[in-house]
Amino acid sequence: MVSSRWVPYLFLAPAILGLLVFRLTPIGIAIGGSLTGTSLMGDVRFVGLENFEVLATDPDFWRSLRVTLIFNLIINPLQVVVAFTLAMLVFEPGRGIGLFRTMLVLPMAVSTGLSAVLFGLFLDANLGPLNGFLHWSGIGAQPFHRSEHQALGTLIGIATWKGAGYWMLFLLAGLYAIPSTVHEAAAIDGATALQRFRFVTLPLMRKPLAFVLVADTAINFLFFAPVYILTTGGPNRSTSVLMFEAYRSAFTFTDFGRSLAISTVLLAIILIIVFLQFRLLRSPEDRA
Amino acid sequence: MNAATSTNQVATFARYGALSVLSFIVVCPLAWLAIASLRPQGEIFQPISEFGWRTFVPSRITLDNYRALLAGDFPVALGNSIFVSLTTMAFGLLVNSLAGFAFAVFEFRGKTLLFVLVIASFMMPFEAIVLPLYVLVNAFGWTNSYKALIVPEIANGMVIFLFRQFFASIPKDFYEAARVDGASWLYIWARIAMPLSWPTIATSCLMIFLRQWDSFFWPVVAASSPEYSVVQVAIARNINFEQHNWGGLFASTNLAILIGTIPFLLLQQFYIRSLIADGLK
Repeated sequence: MVSSRWVPYLFLAPAILGLLVFRLTPIGIAIGGSLTGTSLMGDVRFVGLENFEVLATDPDFWRSLRVTLIFNLIINPLQVVVAFTLAMLVFEPGRGIGLFRTMLVLPMAVSTGLSAVLFGLFLDANLGPLNGFLHWSGIGAQPFHRSEHQALGTLIGIATWKGAGYWMLFLLAGLYAIPSTVHEAAAIDGATALQRFRFVTLPLMRKPLAFVLVADTAINFLFFAPVYILTTGGPNRSTSVLMFEAYRSAFTFTDFGRSLAISTVLLAIILIIVFLQFRLLRSPEDRA
Repeated sequence: MNAATSTNQVATFARYGALSVLSFIVVCPLAWLAIASLRPQGEIFQPISEFGWRTFVPSRITLDNYRALLAGDFPVALGNSIFVSLTTMAFGLLVNSLAGFAFAVFEFRGKTLLFVLVIASFMMPFEAIVLPLYVLVNAFGWTNSYKALIVPEIANGMVIFLFRQFFASIPKDFYEAARVDGASWLYIWARIAMPLSWPTIATSCLMIFLRQWDSFFWPVVAASSPEYSVVQVAIARNINFEQHNWGGLFASTNLAILIGTIPFLLLQQFYIRSLIADGLK
């Protein structure tokens, strides 16, 4: 019989070991690996900050960073606005609302990879029904992810199709947490629906909205599968986000130093975001 | 009053109108894929210049594409995905519920620090560590094996958290009474705590299943050989827009989507509630 004092550690051991080895250690490997280089002979040596210095003068890296930032500056506010609109639309009970809500959250069970394959077919230039419709309506077929100018926008559209319903759920939970008496009091005071939204709902939704914005941003900085499946970073590097650049460095050019240096840059961004998220969740107002 | 009523009617009309349009945008691609996968092989390619009701309505419905799919090498990928998902689910349930139980029931040194590790592990998206994790798993000699796909995914911070929340909601007296009767903590976990927690078990199973079923980046990196390809990787490999086997691509994509969405639809009440109410508040 083991002493009770050790019981909690025995219960925790397998899970904590798993998290330490497969979640925490890779962070160390990213940082350590970013400080090493592999020579043509194949041996690994310590190179200090050389990988980062090379990155700093590498136009491909800067181009990729710019693409990633543009992507995030558009997609995150867009997804929050769409998710909030959806949440407002399905919030009040009504006939058939449950069915609408189920339809809107359905894409969260479709993986990002399969969403990409699905839209690759749906938007296809030869057999895609959307282009069929655009052709028929006289607007004319669009190249979508095949064009340098539309590819990033197309990926944003696909990711929003997939993600909006998921984030809607968190905002819906925030809306339910607002006591109905607050709305009733405002209505008795003669506030119009628009005024109630502006002065009651919006201020009370600041926390859930901020949470969704931050959590969504963390995920979108690591956007990968649709780029890999649909555009492979193109056309003309217009969709070469950092995560894809890191992947390509490792598996196309077997330059793990560069790959892990980009991973480290991404990790630093993500750690800042996770820290922000902690702050948001910890604050006492959230418990209200 | 009359004005107010008509304003209300307009608002309701606008609301249902907007919901119909948005739901259509969400469902249309999925419905189109599902229907097209039931067309005869030669009919799937509908040139955009011939757009019309025929684009959405097959001349006849057939399962030929699915039969051809199951006769090819897709079942290998299907089997891999199912094996990987179910194995991860079994081990994940065991390992994470034990940890959740420890966090909920015991006081011990280092509890806060370890709990922060748990929370941070699920707040940090997995994709952030895929490439360094590959370096690690490669050093273990695990690339292109089931181990690479399963072992790193067993410990799951979110599932630990869900179990902790549930076990903490059971009154402590319940556990203490069993202790007084001489039951071991392992017995209490297995025979008292776990049987009570079936909604959490169902949610966790779905969460682990969907995570493994849907994962793409990690399998592409860690197990890309055809022998160990999971469904997502196999489909991504077959995507070739100048091909002739449209039937296979449509049927496999639709099948993979259905296997992910059907358990989700069946369990969505539990799943969504845990995800939000327990998970992030």
